[in-house]
Amino acid sequence: MATVLASKQKVKKSSLAKRNLQKLLNNKLAVFGLIVVTAMILACIAAPLLTPYDPMKISLSERDLEPSSNHLFGTDKLGRDVFARTLYGGRMSILIGLSGAIGGMLLGVIFGSLCGFFGGTLDAIFVKIAELVSVVPQLLLVLVLSTFLGAGVQNLIYVFMFTGWVATFRLVRGRFFSLREESFVEACRAFGIGNLSIAFKHILPNCLGPVAVQLTLNTAGFILQEAALSFIGLGVPSGVPTWGNIMNAAKEIIVITQSPWLWIPPGIAIALFVLGVNSLGDGMRDVLDPSQL
Amino acid sequence: MLKYFVSRILLLIPMLLVIGLVVFIGLELAPGDPITAMIPPDQLSSMTLEDIEAMRESLGLNDPMLVRYFRWLFNLIKGDMGYSVVTGTPIASIIQNLLPATIKLTFAALIISTIIGLLFGIVSAIKSNTFIDYISSVLGVIGISMPEFFIGILALLIFAIRLKWFPAQGRTDVGLNALQSLKYLVLPACSLGMVLAAALMRYTRNAMLDVLNKDYVKTARAKGLPEWKVYYKHVFRNSLMPISVLLLLRLPMLIGGSVVIEQVFGYAGVGSRLLAAINGSDYQLVLVIILLLSTVSLLASVLIDMFTALLDPRVRLGGDIGGAK
Amino acid sequence: MNKQDYILSINDLKTQFKIGKRVVKAVDGVTLNVRRGKTMGLVGESGCGKSVTAHSIMQLLPKAGSIKEGEIIFRPQNSEEFDIAKYRKTDKKLRNMRGRQISMIFQDPMSSLNPVYRIGDQIIESIIQHERISKKAAIKRTVDMLEMLSIPQADKRIMDYPHQFSGGMKQRVMIAMGLITNPELLIADEPTTALDVTIQAQILELMQQMQEQLGFTIIIITHNMGIVADMADDIAVMYMGKIMEFGAKEDIFLRPTHPYTRALLKSVPVLGNGGNDRLEPIRGTTPDPSDMPEGCSFMPRCDLATEKCKNAPPYEDVGNGHMVRCWYAKGGAANE
Repeated sequence: MATVLASKQKVKKSSLAKRNLQKLLNNKLAVFGLIVVTAMILACIAAPLLTPYDPMKISLSERDLEPSSNHLFGTDKLGRDVFARTLYGGRMSILIGLSGAIGGMLLGVIFGSLCGFFGGTLDAIFVKIAELVSVVPQLLLVLVLSTFLGAGVQNLIYVFMFTGWVATFRLVRGRFFSLREESFVEACRAFGIGNLSIAFKHILPNCLGPVAVQLTLNTAGFILQEAALSFIGLGVPSGVPTWGNIMNAAKEIIVITQSPWLWIPPGIAIALFVLGVNSLGDGMRDVLDPSQL
Repeated sequence: MLKYFVSRILLLIPMLLVIGLVVFIGLELAPGDPITAMIPPDQLSSMTLEDIEAMRESLGLNDPMLVRYFRWLFNLIKGDMGYSVVTGTPIASIIQNLLPATIKLTFAALIISTIIGLLFGIVSAIKSNTFIDYISSVLGVIGISMPEFFIGILALLIFAIRLKWFPAQGRTDVGLNALQSLKYLVLPACSLGMVLAAALMRYTRNAMLDVLNKDYVKTARAKGLPEWKVYYKHVFRNSLMPISVLLLLRLPMLIGGSVVIEQVFGYAGVGSRLLAAINGSDYQLVLVIILLLSTVSLLASVLIDMFTALLDPRVRLGGDIGGAK
Repeated sequence: MNKQDYILSINDLKTQFKIGKRVVKAVDGVTLNVRRGKTMGLVGESGCGKSVTAHSIMQLLPKAGSIKEGEIIFRPQNSEEFDIAKYRKTDKKLRNMRGRQISMIFQDPMSSLNPVYRIGDQIIESIIQHERISKKAAIKRTVDMLEMLSIPQADKRIMDYPHQFSGGMKQRVMIAMGLITNPELLIADEPTTALDVTIQAQILELMQQMQEQLGFTIIIITHNMGIVADMADDIAVMYMGKIMEFGAKEDIFLRPTHPYTRALLKSVPVLGNGGNDRLEPIRGTTPDPSDMPEGCSFMPRCDLATEKCKNAPPYEDVGNGHMVRCWYAKGGAANE
């Protein structure tokens, strides 16, 4: 009986997923976002094909050059090609933002389902922790944690995971609270399906839409934060190019006025990518919840 | 309602204790002897090792950590925050000089973004699916996608350097009248507030459209109320609750953003001091500033939370407190 | 009958919704006369356009909907008659009419009251909008009205918020809000659907009592044949945006002529209407309103359908103002 129920649900789910995908592809906003995001990710991955320059290679003879056909975005104070740095920097920025967001999502989903399903003391403790984490400015939290862990790409991802689970946690927990009272959960219980199986197989799939939207929000947020942290010199070590690190040069007025090619391209890259991610998220939200339109 | 407020304020205490503890552990783990952070550096140089050990004992530095934690906390509350190892000045006086500037900046950004965000959000909702709505929606999504410091740099370049409307760098209160010192505030506050304004605008629009579909709005129209009254009394008023919840969630980001924006504009507040302290390994100062900024964020959150509660009779009358969240 | 005996005359009303590029003809040529001081029941399945008809009378349609054709003549007792359909939704004329001359109560009392204002304030808002009156007098009138509607301790309860009221009590508040300005017409859109069965009867009885005391006209919209049997003097049966049959209660229940009305009566139990008859569901489903069949809209589901039904049937009087929209209404084929 249980397998019949499960397989039936599966059939319905896949057709629903298909329908939602169709709707997503009809949504102009989502398609725009998807195109921007995919194009930028591909460009960053294909960086070696798009530029002959090594982003790290210092060339003292070519310092501070204006954009030209040789150097599309010019060169920086050490003669490194800004176009190459923006492409390779994008790899790192997107990697950090995405893995931080995915890690945070996983933590949020796990904590959220456990707390939402079982409630009780565990739930009370996590709710308090979540409140604490969300009320302290994330930037400051990152600062404290990086004094513990030290600077570095991996540590930054850990820090984002640690600070980024809260929104997903709240979302999943809330959905669980309302769904566990639904009759289909009672039906599962009546069939003798175990708690964990109910939680992860039957309730969790109902939360995945909003979780996916939250994932886009978090990715956008973390890319912005990485940029801000690296800009003030506290994110990724300055040797590794990221969009924020490249913009770090714009802390000096002379760079802002004299060498705009050093900070405008990475700035636009950040804004464009985040815009794409946000549009995708907005489009997904429209598809999942038309009433929010 | 009073009960709710009291419980809200009481809840602050454990949260502050936990944040304080995290900061204190950070201080413990940070390199350097805590004693050097407690004595003015000029005295320190004339002390022998035995003196320091005796002092360590008398100051209770060999006590268990929790005891030292609470002692540190009480000292902090009394205003004795130790000394900056780098400059030798008491941290309390550094904070005293800089914290008001940062609060002023953040508050100004909050006001600006609330006004702009609500205004455009309301107009978008009323004129939904028109050209105006379309334009402001596009601007809104661009706004939330821009890094604050990028907005800041652009504003600096355009309004300060090219147009020369505002000073490019710095903040000083000395010898300036209110209007002149306000000029130093405009660009940082606007840059800081822009992202929040965009977020608020989008949220206000959606919240109002959400409320517009509610039956009680139809009831209000069925009573024969004029449209502006329907919008003001029934739509906007009811949208305020979700809007203030968003404000609550976004506030810590605003305070975090102030650190970055102060850096862009060379605005002398705790944020730029914090960065200098980090670069100078001035850990005591770093952690005190982080603790203070967190406290400000926490206090502001509680204030907004109380405001939200005031708006909702279900919470106000001591019913289901979860309803406000 | 004299024209003045009808408080409301709807002629060939067409209300449409534009959803994306699709146009949905929710109301497609409704003609109705509502007798002053009486109760008219508008019945039909969900989605037949009965609620849209009611909202058209108040011009409370959502943004996507608008009246395309027809007239809605309203004849207030002490002022000039006017055509509601001629005015824009936000026109002052209509604003003054809403809540003062015509009031409306909705299906779900839980969501029809604004949760952030006191009950009393929400009722008083209606008085103050339409009359020059002191706050004190307005409060007094509110309390009196709530007492008439049997709300205990009305003077204290006006200080309460909606969440402190039960569903039935909220619907009483809604009725009070509608009647406080002494309107001539009360439109009740499924007023009891969201309530418990026991509460339903109380609310309906209260509405009838109030009607006896104040003498207003009621249009009650429902899918429940039992309710119209109880309340209505006249009944209009609606299907796919059109009135299929209209007549006095006795005509509809004792001499149902349209196949749809007959099917409808067979599909629901009505107390005292032959307890041993088996209930029969209406076969088929309602067609998509944006893709309506040519001719008679009931044809695909009708047992009597013939070639003739591919042309739109006339709306004819079969005697005593009993109107039927069917080719076989007079021919006798329907009167098996």
